[in-house]
Amino acid sequence: MPSASSILVSNEDVYILTFRGKNELQGGETGLSALALELLVLIDGKATVAQIRQRLKVAPDDVKVTQAIQELVLQGFADLSRNQLTQSPELIEFFSEKPAQPSDSALNQAKTEAESGITTLQQHGYYVRIAMRPAARRKPDGGEVILVVEDDPTLSKFLRQYLEIEGFVARTAANRNEILLGLRHQPPPDLVLLDVMLPDADGFNILMRMREHPQLKAVPVLMLTAKATRESVLKGLAGGANGYITKPFQPDSLITAVNTVLGIPKDLFGRGSRVE
Amino acid sequence: MSDDDFSRMMAALSAEFRQGLPGQMATVDRLWQRLSSGHTEAASMAELIRTLHTLAGSAGTFGLAEVGAAAAAAESGLETYREAGAVADEAGRAEISRVLEALRRAASA
Repeated sequence: MPSASSILVSNEDVYILTFRGKNELQGGETGLSALALELLVLIDGKATVAQIRQRLKVAPDDVKVTQAIQELVLQGFADLSRNQLTQSPELIEFFSEKPAQPSDSALNQAKTEAESGITTLQQHGYYVRIAMRPAARRKPDGGEVILVVEDDPTLSKFLRQYLEIEGFVARTAANRNEILLGLRHQPPPDLVLLDVMLPDADGFNILMRMREHPQLKAVPVLMLTAKATRESVLKGLAGGANGYITKPFQPDSLITAVNTVLGIPKDLFGRGSRVE
Repeated sequence: MSDDDFSRMMAALSAEFRQGLPGQMATVDRLWQRLSSGHTEAASMAELIRTLHTLAGSAGTFGLAEVGAAAAAAESGLETYREAGAVADEAGRAEISRVLEALRRAASA
C-alpha cells in the first residue's frame, strides 16, 4: 500500500472525482475534513491544482492542500485526469529530448557487469540476459505491480496476460502519455519493463529521467528490447537499468529476471513455477 | 498455469500476430517505396526502422524466427542511413531491397 506522501501532486495537475468521490459528495454524512470536502467540490476535471489553490486563497506551495489531495487519491476519492497529461509541463520535462548520457564511471561499471553476464548468457544460449541487480525492496507480498512499456499491441497483450498469470498486476503503456500515467497511477509500479524504441519516446531517456526523479529513481527497471548491440546494453546498464533482456525472449527467462529483480524467491506464491 | 494453458495462450497470440503481419508488411513496403527513390525523408526512414525493429523484436517471440531475423537485418542495414534520411547510393538501395525481399518471403511462408 503506498503512503500518501508518495503520491506526486504538482500545480499543473488536473484531478477528477472517482465514483467513490462523487458518492461521498452526494451522501448524507462524511468523515472527511472540511478541506477535503471543499476539494471534492472544486475538483471538476478542469481546474488545475494551482487554480484550486487560488480559489481556496492559499499559497501555491501550501502543504495542507497537497496533503489533502494526496489523501483523497490514496483513499480513492479522486484520481489524476487522463486528459491533462498531453500538455503537462511535467510531461514535457520528463520526456525532454536532452540526450541521455551516463557518466564514465557508470559506463565502466556497466562494462564489468556486462562482461560477467555475457558468459552467463552464452551458457544459456541467449544473446543477452545479463546483469540482474536485485533492487532494494520491501519483502514481497504478492501482487506486485509491473508497468509494461511496449508499443507492439500483441506483444503487450502477451506480456500482460503472462505476468498476470504469474501473479503480478500488469499495467500497459504504449506511448509517452500512457507511460507518465502508468508511473503516476497509484499504487506506483514495483517494476517497469521498458522497451527502447517507442513511437514518441526513447526508452533510454525515460530510464535516465526516472533515475533523476526523486520519487521514481528507486523503481527497478528491466529493459526489454530488440536493441541488442553491446553499446545499447551498456547504455541501459550504465543508465541505471536493473537488467537488460533482448527480444526475442524466452518467457521463462523473463519471469526469472522479474523475480530476480524483485527479490522474489523461486516458487514463492506459486510464481516462477515455469522456471527451471 | 499448466503447460497446456500456456501453449493455448501462445497459440492464440501467435495467430493474432500472424494476422497483423500483412498490415505491418504493407507499412514496410509503403515506406520503402518512398525511400527507394533516393529522396530524403527522415520521417519515413525513422518510421520504417521502427516498424522493422518492432517486427524484429516480436516475431521471434511468437515463433516466427525467420521473420524476426530478416527484419533485424533490414533494420540494421537501414540504420546506416538513418541520419541521412535517405538511401542515396544505388548499391545501398539494392542491398536493402534484397534484405526486404527476404523479409517478404519469410512473412508469407
